[in-house]
Amino acid sequence: MKKIKIGTITLAIIAITMIAFFGVYTQVQNRMENQVKDYDYAMDLKGSRNVRLTVNTESKTTIKDADGNIVEDSDDLTDEQIAENGYTKEETPNNSEEIKNAENYRASQKIIEKRLQKLGLEDYIIKVDEETGDILIELPENDKTDSVISNITTTGKFEIIDTQTGEVLMDNSDIKLAKVLYGSDSSTTSSGTSVYLDIEFNKEGKKKLEEISNQYVKIEETTEDTSTEEDTTTTEKTITMKIDNEEIMSTSFDEPIKTGKLQLSIGSSTTDNDTLQGYIEQASSMATVLDTGNIPITYDLNENQYILSEVTENQVEIAIYVVLGMVVVALIVLIIRYKSLGTLGAIAYIGFISLLTIVIRYTNVVLSIEGLLGMVVTFSLNYILINKLLARNDNRLEAYKECFVKIIPVIILAITFCFTSWRPINSFGMVMFWGIVLMVAYNGLVTNSLLKIKEGKEK
Amino acid sequence: MKKISKKVKIIALLLAIIIIVGAIVTLTIGLNFNLRYQETKKIQLYLEKDFEISDIKKITDEVLPNQDVIIQKVEVYEDSVSIISTDITEEQKINLIDKINEKYEIELSADNTEITTIPHTRGRDIIRPYVVPFIIATVIILVYMAIRYRKLGMIKTIVKTAFLLVIAQAVLLSVIAIIRIPIGRVTIPLVLVVYVLSLLGVTNYFEKGLKEKKKEEE
Repeated sequence: MKKIKIGTITLAIIAITMIAFFGVYTQVQNRMENQVKDYDYAMDLKGSRNVRLTVNTESKTTIKDADGNIVEDSDDLTDEQIAENGYTKEETPNNSEEIKNAENYRASQKIIEKRLQKLGLEDYIIKVDEETGDILIELPENDKTDSVISNITTTGKFEIIDTQTGEVLMDNSDIKLAKVLYGSDSSTTSSGTSVYLDIEFNKEGKKKLEEISNQYVKIEETTEDTSTEEDTTTTEKTITMKIDNEEIMSTSFDEPIKTGKLQLSIGSSTTDNDTLQGYIEQASSMATVLDTGNIPITYDLNENQYILSEVTENQVEIAIYVVLGMVVVALIVLIIRYKSLGTLGAIAYIGFISLLTIVIRYTNVVLSIEGLLGMVVTFSLNYILINKLLARNDNRLEAYKECFVKIIPVIILAITFCFTSWRPINSFGMVMFWGIVLMVAYNGLVTNSLLKIKEGKEK
Repeated sequence: MKKISKKVKIIALLLAIIIIVGAIVTLTIGLNFNLRYQETKKIQLYLEKDFEISDIKKITDEVLPNQDVIIQKVEVYEDSVSIISTDITEEQKINLIDKINEKYEIELSADNTEITTIPHTRGRDIIRPYVVPFIIATVIILVYMAIRYRKLGMIKTIVKTAFLLVIAQAVLLSVIAIIRIPIGRVTIPLVLVVYVLSLLGVTNYFEKGLKEKKKEEE
């Protein structure tokens, strides 16, 4: 009976080990496919999107009249027409020589970094060349990468201008915060969800907004003509909101805004989740760009490609063999030291390694180099625990408790790191967390049962 | 007052020497940054076919002798290669392209291949994302230690724990500085492992102290 029980547990461990290291293959169409989920690797092990931003060297052509005012709609004017009208042509570089300095390059880097953080990127590398101004960014490759890149290449220049005169009424310096709001659409009878971009202005901006919302309103003037009929004429002063010189909207105000907040409707949808998600992404992008400020330098996207990790398969193989070698030596020591009990301890240990590699794949853990080392640390802790359990077969529960009391600070560390968004740290924390949870459960159930059965203590 | 044993004194002296030498090396020579964090030169070549990194490595070993090189496959089709090294001169670029053309029977032009500069990464930029999580975790751990080992003296426990954790990291960084281990991908994982080991050491030390204290009380 004892042998059957030990044999059954051992067979179960062998099965788990086979699944963990070789997988479960089924035929899908004409090929065999592993049904066991693959590891999810971080940027350092998988590869990254490499982006190079270079300082824009182009110039903007502006046509000015004799008084020095900019001539609108001058794109189609020929040189002859410009001369005939007495206009002058001016070339203004997008980045003047005065702004091309290390200070502005660093400031641009910081704003881009802020945007990456606001967009929730868990892992990135950003470098700046203080001489040329080139900015190099390494980003994780996923569905959001392209949208992130479009966000970081946007300058983020915000302006509210008088539509008629072009006078700048408000700009980035007036913004305190920009965020996305959702709400049910009360303007329609259907129960849709609306997405808004909520711009909160600072003290100065709040005052300006109140003034603007008082001035830029629809004015209805009623005049009485001779036939006693009333004529109503409406005059409207409007503002135009621009982001990166692109017109977002032109509007007037119905009532003064005293809250210092401006809510712009981005869109609404009743049932289509994808459409709604699109609006949310669009609003989030605008909020991120506005919230992080205006990049002082205009950049061009010069390089945008996926580069595989420099950690080669060969290097990974070497690392795996080294760890396996160490595990084998450690297990031999266990077997020599504790004989048959040591053999069972070794079997249980192999089962733990296999189970952890499966658990990690199904618990959304993204493996980075830190995570891999977290696995090695967990394996080591489990080895120490099994060793203690074998050494203290007189009072195994006490040994079990002692071990866990000693690793409480490590558990605290793991849990704290699990809540960190920075991928390498999070990976280490997650691996350690699941490793320790598994250690508690697995050794309590499997290792302990195996040893009890061997000693004939089972009920 | 407890008498400090000779063995402990020797270890303390040795650690102090390591930390001092490490600090001097860091302040004078600086740390040895891995190629990934240094200012480097890069060329990218479209080979139009599958290739082995080991084959490119052989070529770079010939053309860029005694230079660290990072070779990476580019894009999903993995038919382009990115070669990064501390420095790549025009002459070396031409040689590299000639040898690659010969090996893969292609006709890449050196004139159309640009050498780009990859700026260095500042040390503070590397460690910045790790600082806050480490501080938060350490503070929580110190609070736990102070409560768990309050019988050994709360302040004493906090000071000793913090001191030992800092010393462990200082020794690690000093060793890295002295023996010129390149600061690279593995440095932070190494810091994490040493942090975990020092936590285990500190807990073990206090657990022993707590046991002795309980025995004394009994």
